[in-house]
Amino acid sequence: MEEVEIKKSRMPKIDNIINYKDFFGEYPLIFAIKIISSIAMFYVIYEFFVYHNPLDSLITKYAPKVIANFKPNPNIFVIWGFIAGFCFYIFTLFKGKYKLLILILTLAIVGQYISDPALDWQVGESVIPDKVDTNGDGNQTQWEWKPVKIIYDDKKGTNERIDDAKVRLSNMIFGIIPFLGAYGIWKRKGWAIAASIGLVIIIGFLYNPNLCLENYDATYCGYDTMEKELTWKEYLSGGIFIGLGFVIYIELSYAAIKYENYAEQFKPAGLDASLLSASQKKSVAKTLRTLFVSYLINLGVMLFITFSVAEIVININYYLSTTDGRIQDSIELQGPYGIVFTSLIFFMLLGFLRMFIGAEYDREDN
Amino acid sequence: MWSKKAVAVAGGAIFLTLAGLIRLNYLFISAGLVMLTFVVLSSFLDVWMPNVKVRRETSSDNVFEDGTINVKFIIKNTGLGLGFVEIYDKLPPQARITKGSNYTLLYMKPWQEVSFEYTLKLSLRGHYHLGPVRMRVKDAFDLFYNEKLEQSIHSFSVFPRIEVLEEQVITSRAPKLLSGSMPLNLIGSGTEFYSLREFVPGDSLRSVNWKALAKKGKMMVNETVREDVMDVILLLDAREVSAVGGGRDTPLEMSCRAAATYAKQLLDERNNVALVTYGDSVKRVDLDRGEHHLFKILTSLSSVRPEGSLKLEIVLKDLLPYIPSGSPIILFSSLDDDYTISEAFTNTISRGYNITTISPSSLDFEEKMKRIPHQPLLIARIERENMISEIRSFGMTVGDWKADEAVNTVLQGG
Repeated sequence: MEEVEIKKSRMPKIDNIINYKDFFGEYPLIFAIKIISSIAMFYVIYEFFVYHNPLDSLITKYAPKVIANFKPNPNIFVIWGFIAGFCFYIFTLFKGKYKLLILILTLAIVGQYISDPALDWQVGESVIPDKVDTNGDGNQTQWEWKPVKIIYDDKKGTNERIDDAKVRLSNMIFGIIPFLGAYGIWKRKGWAIAASIGLVIIIGFLYNPNLCLENYDATYCGYDTMEKELTWKEYLSGGIFIGLGFVIYIELSYAAIKYENYAEQFKPAGLDASLLSASQKKSVAKTLRTLFVSYLINLGVMLFITFSVAEIVININYYLSTTDGRIQDSIELQGPYGIVFTSLIFFMLLGFLRMFIGAEYDREDN
Repeated sequence: MWSKKAVAVAGGAIFLTLAGLIRLNYLFISAGLVMLTFVVLSSFLDVWMPNVKVRRETSSDNVFEDGTINVKFIIKNTGLGLGFVEIYDKLPPQARITKGSNYTLLYMKPWQEVSFEYTLKLSLRGHYHLGPVRMRVKDAFDLFYNEKLEQSIHSFSVFPRIEVLEEQVITSRAPKLLSGSMPLNLIGSGTEFYSLREFVPGDSLRSVNWKALAKKGKMMVNETVREDVMDVILLLDAREVSAVGGGRDTPLEMSCRAAATYAKQLLDERNNVALVTYGDSVKRVDLDRGEHHLFKILTSLSSVRPEGSLKLEIVLKDLLPYIPSGSPIILFSSLDDDYTISEAFTNTISRGYNITTISPSSLDFEEKMKRIPHQPLLIARIERENMISEIRSFGMTVGDWKADEAVNTVLQGG
């Protein structure tokens, strides 16, 4: 029988271009956890900057001296920072030369964007090379190279583009937060998640007290005060939601890492395929599902208790500071110091309680 | 106990609260307090502690240097608790994992038995053990954990690597009752040619050299070297100074490999072999033969540690009365830091013993690690060459063993 020669296709297989299996993973549940974590992260960061104007940040005080038009806008940097982080994760999935190709393409596009209005390409009458009439009557022609000139032109356009780049730069600085968060969740990098949370606090660290929003004008604040002025009580309840949001983000993103690590250990290093058979895989998926549902219930209950306790603590402080009696004379108790003081007393009581409640373990006594 | 995550969350929460106080920011204060409340409330969650039985199955209890050992780690949950358990099987620092992992994250159901495997490569002789097993159980949010140390220890030995010796270089002048394969410098029944002599009545016709008869016209017979068993003493220098260098590149490690190689070869040829090591004291494995004896010698070599500074003269003075007369001694020593060497050799030779020395050069290691300047190195080399020449002048064989050379080549031309 004649052997049929199978011709090798010139088209590279998708497996050789991108490790798409890593994107979806082996277990749909983990993919779902990642999506939920991403939504939680997006919500938390966005909410944080709704309550906390980025123009109040410490960095905003000093950055405009170096970068003009420093106007970070949460509506832009949260979504685009997240998209950039996700795209960077996709980039890491590409293999070898394709990764390099994408990098070069990206650099070229960025270069083109920056240089486009400033550079004018002059190529003469027609595209090079061209048949040129040498004696003027059209009888004698010759192939010739037309000179190409790159002229620095349109200074105004360039300046506009540079200003635009500076505005983008301010958004890029704040955009690092969702960028790292998205990358951390999808690439299973704990340090990136921790860094994104840390940066929320560091980059967002206040320069002006929030009082600026209520009582001060542009000369004090350095920018126009927000239209919507919030009371300190609204800030407190906003803070509770942001605090809960932080907890949800941290918990879900670490859960994604934890459960994926659990599933990953059945996969040998450097290989895409799992060592498990189909039935074993099903069993792992079932375990993961049970674990995650139980985890979500735990988290839900704990968040509800946390929310209730936080509300109680803050309201107790409000009650103590407004009720009749000598205690209301304390100015400190009516302010933020009072809230912290009441909370510390509450934590102390919880500490006492912890001494008597909770798990006790067997000890070896001699 | 607090996990790193709990410390980070609590730290962040405290920072937020304090930052809020400093900047009079209610947002930061309440967000920080909520996070802190979450951590404090989580501390009330129970963290179960697994009640497990651990056992290991290994491919072998003894391996040679650069050998691998497969470990199957089996863990059974004998309690009712369930949840994630992190398991870490402690390995000796010299071990390198070539396959699998000694760490795993398991979800354990009651009475469930789970196993995982890993392969270790060990490149340095010694006695090692696997374990204890560290188990860590965390709460649902990984904020607090409990740890348990399961004292499950599995011991194994790594023997010095054995090379194949191509030729026999050790000879003796002390005949024994049993014939063996070791050539003695004596005429006797054997296979190796020694000399020709005239035929005398009683000689076997098989030993007649017919070519010599045709040439000389008279009956000549072949005489062969007597082959016998020997009592060989392997003397290993395990003083502190023999640990010069690092890792496997030390005179002591090279000496151990050479001693193991010679012990194997000599025992395979049905000789009696004894091992004597000296450092802070003299330790011996008495003369014996057979596979079991090789195991004893290898075990002893695995235990050798560089310590002490006993001098060769004292060791030999103490040892010679117990060594059968005329037995060859093989000394494995870098010959460093011992002013008694000449005297030790003189005394030993005068009593009729033959010492063959295999000397790994410690200077090569020092030079490799760039710990010795050029001039002192040059002087040290000259001193070493003088020492070796002096020993050779006694008529003894000395193998100057350079780093990266095989044991096999050491005594060639020595």
